[in-house]
Amino acid sequence: MSKRKKPKEQPNISAIIERTGTALEDGRYPLEIMNNGDLYQSELRRIFGRAWNYLGHVSEFTEPGDYARRYIGEDPFIVTRDESGDLHAFLDSCMHRGAQFCTAENGNTSHFRCPYHGWTYKNDGTLQGMPHMREAYQDLDEAEIQLEAAHLDTYQGLIFGRIADDGPSLEAYLGDFTWYLDVLFGATSEGMTVVGEPHRWESDHDWKTSADNFSGDSYHVLTTHQAGLETESLARGPWEELDDFPGASYLACTDRHSVGYYLSEDADTFMGYPDTLTDHLDPELSDEQRELFGRSVFHFGTVFPNMSIIHGIQSGGWGGPWACIRKWNPRGPGTTETTSWWLVPRELAGDDEFLETSHRGWESLSPGGAFESDDLTIWEGISDSSGAVTHELRETEGNMQQGLGSMTDEVETVADPLHGPADVTTKGLYFDERNSRTLLRSWYEMMRTDGDQGDDS
Amino acid sequence: MSLPPLSDRSATVDAETQHRIEQFLYREAELLDRFELEEWLTLLDEDIVLAVPVRTARHPGSEQSEFSDESNYLREDYEMIRERVGRLSKEYAWSENPRSRVRHVIGNVRVLDVTDDTVDVANTQHVFRSYGDTADHDMLSAQRHTTLRDGGDGYTISERTVYLDHSILNTKNLTLPLL
Repeated sequence: MSKRKKPKEQPNISAIIERTGTALEDGRYPLEIMNNGDLYQSELRRIFGRAWNYLGHVSEFTEPGDYARRYIGEDPFIVTRDESGDLHAFLDSCMHRGAQFCTAENGNTSHFRCPYHGWTYKNDGTLQGMPHMREAYQDLDEAEIQLEAAHLDTYQGLIFGRIADDGPSLEAYLGDFTWYLDVLFGATSEGMTVVGEPHRWESDHDWKTSADNFSGDSYHVLTTHQAGLETESLARGPWEELDDFPGASYLACTDRHSVGYYLSEDADTFMGYPDTLTDHLDPELSDEQRELFGRSVFHFGTVFPNMSIIHGIQSGGWGGPWACIRKWNPRGPGTTETTSWWLVPRELAGDDEFLETSHRGWESLSPGGAFESDDLTIWEGISDSSGAVTHELRETEGNMQQGLGSMTDEVETVADPLHGPADVTTKGLYFDERNSRTLLRSWYEMMRTDGDQGDDS
Repeated sequence: MSLPPLSDRSATVDAETQHRIEQFLYREAELLDRFELEEWLTLLDEDIVLAVPVRTARHPGSEQSEFSDESNYLREDYEMIRERVGRLSKEYAWSENPRSRVRHVIGNVRVLDVTDDTVDVANTQHVFRSYGDTADHDMLSAQRHTTLRDGGDGYTISERTVYLDHSILNTKNLTLPLL
C-alpha cells in the first residue's frame, strides 16, 4: 500500500496517447499507460473533468438533508438532497478561503458551516450567512456566493455528476447503454435500493485495470479464481444451470460502455431471485428486456470511466443474488480507492432471508472475499510493472486481440433484439476482448483532445 | 453509540483465568501469523460467527453507529471459514501466494463478561503485513471482541467481531490471517 510513486519522464503525452489510438486498431496498447504520472494528471482533467461520473444512488438520499461525501476524480464533492427534494453535488471547499467543511462520510444536515470563519451554506449550496455579515460585508452580493456545483442528473436512480459545463447530456453520454441499465437497475417497479454502507479500500492498482476487468473479462476467471472455483461450495447451486457454457455467454458494447453476461435457457431464471420478484416486474420493460432479465444468470460491465456493475447469481454457499456498484476512485498514478455498494430490488429489501444470502454474495467480492482478494494481488502487480522504464524505452505493447480479425472463429456476432441495441458477440467471454478495447477506445477518445467533448445533444 | 459496543462492560476474573485467556489469544495469534490455519480451525466452535463490520466516518455525537449492522467485509459461519482455509492452502490462492509476512501484536486484553461456560474478552491489536519483494508494509489496527467457550479442556472461540480502526482499508485484501 505504501509504495513510493516514481515520477516519470514523459515530456510528450500526446505521443503516447496517439500511440494508444493507433495500437488499438490492432488490439494492442502501450503497457505504460497503466501507471504513468503525466497521463494521470491529464486523465483527471480530460476524463474525470469532462465525463459523467457516478456519485451515488437516489436510495441513499431519501430525506431532505441527507448527504454523502463523494468524489469526481480526486475532487471531494458533497451530494445532498435539499429541503425541497432536489439533488445537488457541490465541492467541499468554502467560497471564502477554500476550507473543507464536510466532516463525515454521510449524514443529514440542513446547513454546512465552515470551521474556518463560519460561513454557512444551505444544503442546496447557496449562502445562508456568515459571522458579522452586516458589518463586514456591506457591499457583498450574497446571491453570487454559492458553492461550486457539478452538473447533476440521474438515470434509473443512478446519480451522475459532471464538472465541465459543456458536453453531452447524461442520457446522450450513456447512449444505447441505457437499455442495459433499464434491465440491471429498473427491472422492478420500485427499482433498486442500496443496503447498508459500502466497502471501501485503497490499493496500488490503476483505475483502468479494474474498470477493464469488470467490463467483460471472463477469461481471467479460469486462472485468477481457480482457488475460489475449486472450493466445495461452488460445485453447488445455480452455476449448474449453465449447461451451454461458454456458448451461453455474451458481450455487448455500445460506443463507450460495455457489459458481459450469461444467459440460461430457462426463461424463469431471473438471476436466482426469489419467485416473488416476478410479481414486481416493471411493465415498462420491453418484451426483449423482460426476456433478457428472465434468462439472466449474471451480468457485469463498466460505464466509462469508473463505474462498474455486477448483478446476478453467485454460486452455492457463496450466496447471492445481489447487485453491486463499484466506483474506482483515482488516487494517484497506479492507485485506486474502491467503493463497493450493495443493492437489492426495493421490493425484497425487507426479506431477511433473502438479504442474508444476498449479503454473502456481495461479501464474496469484498476485499475479504474469496474472489476479489486474488484479483487485487494481480492488479497491484500490473501497476507496479507497468511503471517500468523498460516499457517506456521499448514502447512495449500489451495484447487485447481476442475476437479481432481472424484471431478466432469461435466468436459469432449476434443480431437478435433480445440482446439490445449494442454490438453483441456470443462466446465472447472467453474468446473476445472487445469490451476491453471499447474501454481503452473511450479512454483514447477523451484523452486525445483537450478541447470540446462531442455534441451537446 | 459510535464506538464498539464495549467499554462500559467489565468483569473481574482471577489472575489465573486472565492468564489462561491471554495465553490462549497469544497462541491463536501465533497460529494465524504462521498460517497454520488447519490447526487454528480446531480452536473454533462449529456454531461460530466471525464478522468484520464496515466502519463509517461519522460526526462526533451522531446517533448512528460507526459500525454497520448490515454491511460486513466478512460475516462467516464455520462452513465458510473452513472453505476459506481450504482455499488459502491452494497454490493459486494468489491473495496469499506468496504469503504475507504477518505479525499480530495483541494488547489490552480485558474481560467484559463471564458466565458459567463463556468469557467475553476484548483485545486490541496491530497486525503487521508485508508482502512480496518489497520493503513496504501495511499495518491493520483493530479491536476484537471474542466470546470464548470453556469446554473443560481449554477455550474455544464461539463468536468474534473484528472492529477495524479503518473506514477505508489500507491494504489490498483482508485474508483470514490478518484478522
